[in-house]
Amino acid sequence: MSSNQDLTFAEKNRLRQQRTRFAFLLPLLVILGYSPLTQCTGGGAGGDGGPTYTQYYNKGEDLYLTHCSNCHQVDGTGLAQLYPPLHRSDYMAAHFEEVICLIRYGKSGEIVVNGIMYNQPMKGIPTLTDLEIAEIATYIYNTWGNKKGLIDVRQVSDILKRCESEGS
Amino acid sequence: MRNVILSIFVIFFPTLFSACIEQKDAPLPILGPRQPTETDTAYHTIPPFSFVNQDSTVVTHKTFDGKIYVADFFFTSCRTICPKMKTQMVRVYDAIKDDPDVLLLSHTIDPKHDTVALLHDYAERLGVSSDKWHFVTGKKEDIYRIAQESYFATAMEDATEPDGFIHSGAFLLIDKEKRIRGKYDGTQPADVDRLIADIERLKKEYE
Repeated sequence: MSSNQDLTFAEKNRLRQQRTRFAFLLPLLVILGYSPLTQCTGGGAGGDGGPTYTQYYNKGEDLYLTHCSNCHQVDGTGLAQLYPPLHRSDYMAAHFEEVICLIRYGKSGEIVVNGIMYNQPMKGIPTLTDLEIAEIATYIYNTWGNKKGLIDVRQVSDILKRCESEGS
Repeated sequence: MRNVILSIFVIFFPTLFSACIEQKDAPLPILGPRQPTETDTAYHTIPPFSFVNQDSTVVTHKTFDGKIYVADFFFTSCRTICPKMKTQMVRVYDAIKDDPDVLLLSHTIDPKHDTVALLHDYAERLGVSSDKWHFVTGKKEDIYRIAQESYFATAMEDATEPDGFIHSGAFLLIDKEKRIRGKYDGTQPADVDRLIADIERLKKEYE
């Protein structure tokens, strides 16, 4: 015989009321609980999902928000014909090494992205380390439908060395 | 416990709503120092000015006679808050572009670099009309003075800043009498929502 059956009707009713008392909080908790989750997946992160990748990607997102999103926007869509998009960019797809280099060294002059000509100089960010550039690259190349996977710091260092020697 | 939560809801919710309703009906405040005169109160107003816009057209206080306008300070090579401000000002532009009573006025605080040609290119790339949104340049002292003394917006050169300037991201709402009726953080979408709503409120004062 379970203890529940021993309870009087009044007691059962009281228990039910206790359970339903905070029931109105449940949808709220569900919304609060799920919103960070949906934000994470909503970004459309691709890639292999390994721990190194995740670390690069997450740090890359922070760095992107600090250094890049003012112009290129949080959602990567850019601004009118002033700042080119990273979200679906044929330029990014075709000029991988150049993109790595321009994060550090900047870029000026005309640039055509998705058929639109942009001409707003971008100053480089010389304070970023090779690793930080690899993290930003991992972020932008694996968000908004891009799926290039982990962009390793060793690969980035090689590219940066090449464009440094080309620039000098 | 339940009663406590319920009473909080019951007491505070209507209060919040009524506060909102009252705020929407009340006229916007008039900002800045004011001086009582013998018969009335003299409010702070934007003094006469003369700058040149992206079409090389001279833009003065007279351009804004009988107009409500939104003013800000920026420079085209800025990477910090200006792109955020411009993203938000485009939202304001989209809200008022068909409204003959409202104009926008963006002053460059880097007139040495931001020439008329550069401002023209900048405005064109933003895709905005020059009779609606003036991007102006002028003498540096004039721009800095009007920013600080008239619009109460910070604008100065500062070599320690990444782009060489320090300035506030404020949007200022100016009424037809050239009085400041609102100050908004131009980098915050929610504050710019408030500005767009306040423009409508301000227009009602003239109906």
